[in-house]
Amino acid sequence: MGIRSFMGLLASERLKLAKSPIWLLVPVSPVLAMLIGIFSNLADVAPGERYMILQAGVFTLHALLLLPLLTGILSSFVCRFEHSGGGWKSLLSLPVSRTGLYAAKFITVAVLLAAVQLLMLAALVVAVEYHGLDGGIDWGLAIPAVASGWAACLPLAALQLWASIGWSSFAAPLAINVAFTLPNMLIVNSETFSPFYPWAQPSLAMLSSGTMDFGGFAIPLETVLLTIAGSFLVFLFGGLMHMRRKEI
Amino acid sequence: MKEWVIETSALGKRYKGRYAVSNLNLKIGKGEIYGFLGPNGAGKTTTIRMLLGLIQPSSGAIRMFGQPLHKNKMSILRRIGSLVEYPSYYGHLSATDNLEAIRRIIDAPKERIGEVLGIVGLSKEAKRPVKGFSLGMKQRLGIAGALLGSPELLILDEPTNGLDPAGILEIRELIKSMPREYGITVLISSHLLSEVEQMAHKVGIIRQGELVFQDTLESLQQQARGCVSLRVSDAERAMVLLDGCGIDSSLAGEHLNLDGTDDAIVSRAVQELVMAGHSVYRAEERRKSLEELFLRIVGEGQG
Repeated sequence: MGIRSFMGLLASERLKLAKSPIWLLVPVSPVLAMLIGIFSNLADVAPGERYMILQAGVFTLHALLLLPLLTGILSSFVCRFEHSGGGWKSLLSLPVSRTGLYAAKFITVAVLLAAVQLLMLAALVVAVEYHGLDGGIDWGLAIPAVASGWAACLPLAALQLWASIGWSSFAAPLAINVAFTLPNMLIVNSETFSPFYPWAQPSLAMLSSGTMDFGGFAIPLETVLLTIAGSFLVFLFGGLMHMRRKEI
Repeated sequence: MKEWVIETSALGKRYKGRYAVSNLNLKIGKGEIYGFLGPNGAGKTTTIRMLLGLIQPSSGAIRMFGQPLHKNKMSILRRIGSLVEYPSYYGHLSATDNLEAIRRIIDAPKERIGEVLGIVGLSKEAKRPVKGFSLGMKQRLGIAGALLGSPELLILDEPTNGLDPAGILEIRELIKSMPREYGITVLISSHLLSEVEQMAHKVGIIRQGELVFQDTLESLQQQARGCVSLRVSDAERAMVLLDGCGIDSSLAGEHLNLDGTDDAIVSRAVQELVMAGHSVYRAEERRKSLEELFLRIVGEGQG
């Protein structure tokens, strides 16, 4: 498949999403995070630790719950149009390679998640400015957290995309995603289980910046990233194989 | 040798030990409208899905435009436009944007969108969101999408399903114009003979996954020709008598059926019978409709 026809596939996915309500979901979590940040009470915190506490506060809800949920929603959403009324059939009767289509959908999800993460960074900036912290935002801490949070979503996105394609349903993979995301709060406390739980990876990656050193957060970021890369390859390959063999 | 646009040999698809399609040998020539007929569940859609590379055949081979499908899938699909079962559309997008989503994938020229909307008569509705379209309009949009890549072959699976008579007529006229105006070969499936008999040149009838008839529509009409039925005083003796005169007939209860409706044969048969002292009460033509013949072909092997 040529690069030109792949760009065509991406452009087609973009058009389908452009006029859909999915865009409203992108700023939801960052706005909530910004409000959490603004209303945080830092009066009792030692001035030297204020920034760390604030960043953790801004990111926690997002990393633990909203980001994994959003990953599932976006992965289901990019397949939603195809599930209704024989869309897979008409799409795959066109001269498109299944690998290319899978890649186009995955990249679409990854780009949307990147937009969410960039907005998170903006939310943190607003919160830091509001509290007027000395030295402002610590980019050296914030950027790796946001970037590795994004990377941690990719295996999850691959897994959810696999489920969305396999199930031919919009709701089923979403329900699974919610059911597996909610136990996150318990799982991250476990140093034993959290490295193997895909839904917990975003929180491990985004929050392991030193403020929290219990359970899964004590695992070094390098180890977390290694787990993320491994699971990403497994899920991506699985989903791709499924897509290529699927009987439409 | 005739150039086949679609040629399948011993094509089969097995699901859990049961053949949904077996030993299928389709032959569709260039510029033809081919009516692919059969009752629901006979294997029409399964066949079409194999032709479009959506599912893998369990056995046999498919050649399209003279090339094997499994080797040249992309270049073959580029020459095909299709509409399988339901028109698929993105409800939140306008007709133009729906076509644009396809156009970006197949890389057709931008002007083509306006052209195909014109062909299917949707130019006025181009800017409206598709979710407000009637079924007939969605169906026409589906055909517009199939035409977008200027295909040489159009594969339409039950394109008139669920349409009202006016909608059916519209789609039929549209399909009829395809070979004539654009040189496009058309494969159209249906469970109703009446729907394709007014446009198809050739028909293939599939029953329980097997092709039971494949020839021109005229040949089917030949088979459907009527017979003349005579009611006489003693049918059995009358048949023996006619047999002696070289006239073929068959017994049907108290009636005697003459093959064919040739005037000369009928008058000679009546004359011979009357001369031999038989009473001829009735001589009537019995015509089998194409639909009856179709139902008989399709119904055989059941019950």
